[in-house]
Amino acid sequence: MRKELEQKFVSDLEENQNIVHKICRLYTNNQDAHNDLFQEISIQLWRAYPKFRGDSKFSTWMYRVALNTAITLYRKSKRVIKTQDFESVSFKIEATDYDDTEEEQLKLLYKAVHHLSDIEKALVFLYLEDKNYKEIALTMGITEVNARVKMNRVKNKLRKILNP
Amino acid sequence: MDQLELLKKDWQKKDHSFPKLSKNELSTIIHKRSSSIVKWIFIISVLEFVIPHLIILFTGDGDSSKIYDDLGLNSFKLASFAVYYIVIVVFIYLFYKNYKSISAQSNPKTLMHNIIKTRKIVKYYIWFNLSMFFIISVVILYKVFNTTLFIDKIPEDANMLIVWLVSLIAITTIVVIFWLFYKLIYGILLNKLKSNYEELVNHAVDC
Repeated sequence: MRKELEQKFVSDLEENQNIVHKICRLYTNNQDAHNDLFQEISIQLWRAYPKFRGDSKFSTWMYRVALNTAITLYRKSKRVIKTQDFESVSFKIEATDYDDTEEEQLKLLYKAVHHLSDIEKALVFLYLEDKNYKEIALTMGITEVNARVKMNRVKNKLRKILNP
Repeated sequence: MDQLELLKKDWQKKDHSFPKLSKNELSTIIHKRSSSIVKWIFIISVLEFVIPHLIILFTGDGDSSKIYDDLGLNSFKLASFAVYYIVIVVFIYLFYKNYKSISAQSNPKTLMHNIIKTRKIVKYYIWFNLSMFFIISVVILYKVFNTTLFIDKIPEDANMLIVWLVSLIAITTIVVIFWLFYKLIYGILLNKLKSNYEELVNHAVDC
């Protein structure tokens, strides 16, 4: 029984693993930390899986567990804490850094996102996944109005970082 | 195009060419050890329940019984122990109930709220323990200061106010040290969680 459940879970996880990778991408700055968080999210998903009733889509359920792990449950291991950030060391956008090409803009955008708080990252993640305010509110456990206000604030903050 | 729209388009387009882990690799990963904060909170909380009792167990109750006896505090001992154990049973029940309510599949707000609630129960338990320690120590001191043995030994011109003051400072210091130790452990574990929770539930509309 347990074996069957595990097989089903692993195949669900394999299919949707990009969601976990994407969250790790937002919340970590290097490969070691990425792998570490990926592991913790997978463990938490597996633990919660017996209670997953299928009344929401697997991916929607995954958003919640994965974001919970990234924001709240995950304790960085010692190995990871000392690793140098490869993107955010003394991050500052100088006027001369600015390049109008899309590639360059994207680089700066990803850099900027890394400087948001845990909660702001969660909101940006849901925005990037094209969720509407109702879904964002439901996933985060806040009101729709609050979600809208917070999202606008995050967008403004990002714009400010990008256009100082 | 708006910069954020550009980011969204890119995000959805290329899935960041992440490594695709095989079923076997995922199977191995899910059986590794978790480093979840909840696990640590649970372990530390259980220790907080168990350690005071272990200390009582190992320091032995025999001596303290005699002290209570000598001081004529037997009924006080009985009453305080009765209150103590009733309150502890209630605490253990509340702690267990709250701990069970912590679930990774609730939404982040509920999850954080439940963890903080569980911590509050243990915080009240610590407060209860420290207050009991304070009250019992003061009662015992009061009785000790009034025994003939003590009165015989202390110089006649000794100022009892100062004796009391020094004793109270000593007891308070012990309580404060325990409290700081407790704050330190949970400060490390919960600071990030608390600030995230406040950020999430803050309704101020200031943009």
